Amino acid sequence: MIGRHLKPAVGNALLLIAAVLVLAPIYWLVVASSKTPSQLFSSSTFLPLAHPDWLSNLRDLFSFENGAFGYWLANSAVYALITASLATFVSTLAGYGLAKYRFRMRRAIFGLTVGSLMVPATALVVPLFLLEHDVGLLDTYQGVILPLLVYPFGVYFMSIFAAEAVPDTLIDASRIDGAGELRIFWTVGRPILMPGMVTLFLLSFIGTWNNYFLPLVLLGDSFRFPLTVGLATWASELHLAGVSQPLYPEVLLGSLISVLPMIVLFPFLQKYIARGLTFGAIAGE
Amino acid sequence: MNVPYLGLFALFFAAPIVYAIVLSLRSPLTGAFVGLRNYSAVMSNGQFWSAVQRMGYFGLVQVTVMICLAIALALFLDSPYCRGRRIFALVYFLPYAVPGVIATLMWGFLLEPDLDSALNLPHQLGLAGGAIDPLDYRLALYAMMLIVTWEFTGYNMTILLTSLTNVPRQVLEAAKIDGCSELSLAARVKLPLIRRTVVFIVILSIIGTLQLFNEPMLLNDIASIGSSYSPNQIIYYTAFSFGNEQVAAAQSVVLALITIVATVAFYTTVRRRIDPLATTRAPR
Repeated sequence: MIGRHLKPAVGNALLLIAAVLVLAPIYWLVVASSKTPSQLFSSSTFLPLAHPDWLSNLRDLFSFENGAFGYWLANSAVYALITASLATFVSTLAGYGLAKYRFRMRRAIFGLTVGSLMVPATALVVPLFLLEHDVGLLDTYQGVILPLLVYPFGVYFMSIFAAEAVPDTLIDASRIDGAGELRIFWTVGRPILMPGMVTLFLLSFIGTWNNYFLPLVLLGDSFRFPLTVGLATWASELHLAGVSQPLYPEVLLGSLISVLPMIVLFPFLQKYIARGLTFGAIAGE
Repeated sequence: MNVPYLGLFALFFAAPIVYAIVLSLRSPLTGAFVGLRNYSAVMSNGQFWSAVQRMGYFGLVQVTVMICLAIALALFLDSPYCRGRRIFALVYFLPYAVPGVIATLMWGFLLEPDLDSALNLPHQLGLAGGAIDPLDYRLALYAMMLIVTWEFTGYNMTILLTSLTNVPRQVLEAAKIDGCSELSLAARVKLPLIRRTVVFIVILSIIGTLQLFNEPMLLNDIASIGSSYSPNQIIYYTAFSFGNEQVAAAQSVVLALITIVATVAFYTTVRRRIDPLATTRAPR
């Protein structure tokens, strides 16, 4: 009888420990980002300071290197917002088209889309650099955004979502009423597809915000960097000789600021994100 | 309606692939067509293959641990014993919102003996000659496993958990009526029913492991683990530090092929175990 109550208790305790392990580094980041470099090395690792001072670190963060961090924050927001909006739109249009029209290349396009899910995106980075170099897209906002608009998973997701969610009869009825195909997509398809579009938007937004390899390669001008690339360059200077003062507070507080918005919004978005992630697995079952 | 997608696909997906293949067949010095010479350079590049091997070992250990952990967490969260399922599901999934770069920075600092007083404890207690440094070259691989496990266990658990909620209730009810305990329900009914999802996340993890880039790059910034730790890191430095884009293109193609071969090999190995039962699955 004891065992019956003990086992769930042990299980729940383990869950709690796992949750603490997940949250510990984020908690540490909050605590550590309030410290000065000397406090970082002298004070207790996980205990908050008696008088935490984020404000002075915040001032340093935004004023260092002519306010580069402010640019990075704005850049990340621009890259992520534009990429997510356009990628969602392009993928929804393509997915809807694949689901609702029978045309000659349909199977080929669908096969190509599913096939390209297998190609690791990092294999494209070097040739993308050279192609963008040839056409002068390096070091531009478009140069980073355009490759990220190709979102085969989004097209695949939307084609299956649209096939299930948008009834053919509804489309036929609108045709009889004399509506054009694009108008039908906008007035009939789009509202029904909206929940799926929210999911795609979030996945693309997080993917772009978190991306490092692609912008690292395509950008040279530090004022166009997103947060990931900018903070990584500061981190790489931590151990360089000759740097007047280690950038620990800047890197730590910068890291905190770059994860905070998403962590705060996450409880509200979790449901939509989870649906998108699970999609590939469920569709295969 | 597919025009914008196809246009972008052709320019920013198909063209780079074709370009990479063409480039990989040209001489780094003259640009002349040299056949497979760059590929033989890749084949005899010891650093590249030891990085591939390192990722193979990494995947074997880390992916196994992570997937088992994700399965255990998902099954327990799905059981009636779990208290606070929603909050745990949220907390575990949270690292998905943290960029790999930031995750590596956080853990990198936490694993640095100068910054983390806990790592000095064994030394102070006289148990070790010096502070433990988890980021020295030998241990850095395990530090990286820890970071990646922290980043993706919740992600995989989330996929499994959603899959579990789609398991037909009648099946579970029937098993319970037959006297099935919660533990054997989880191990013998639920787990077999979500085995396709398990295969799916293992495949995603294999692909992710072979593409590892952010973590070794950032750990190298913090702890100097070297610039040839993962294949993608080697490709990056070959192209952009040594300016040898032709060999880097060949390396990219080889890495993509290794990824596809590893994925297909894994899938064909487990396929027979998945399929025979597929026909007897309960209807949805």
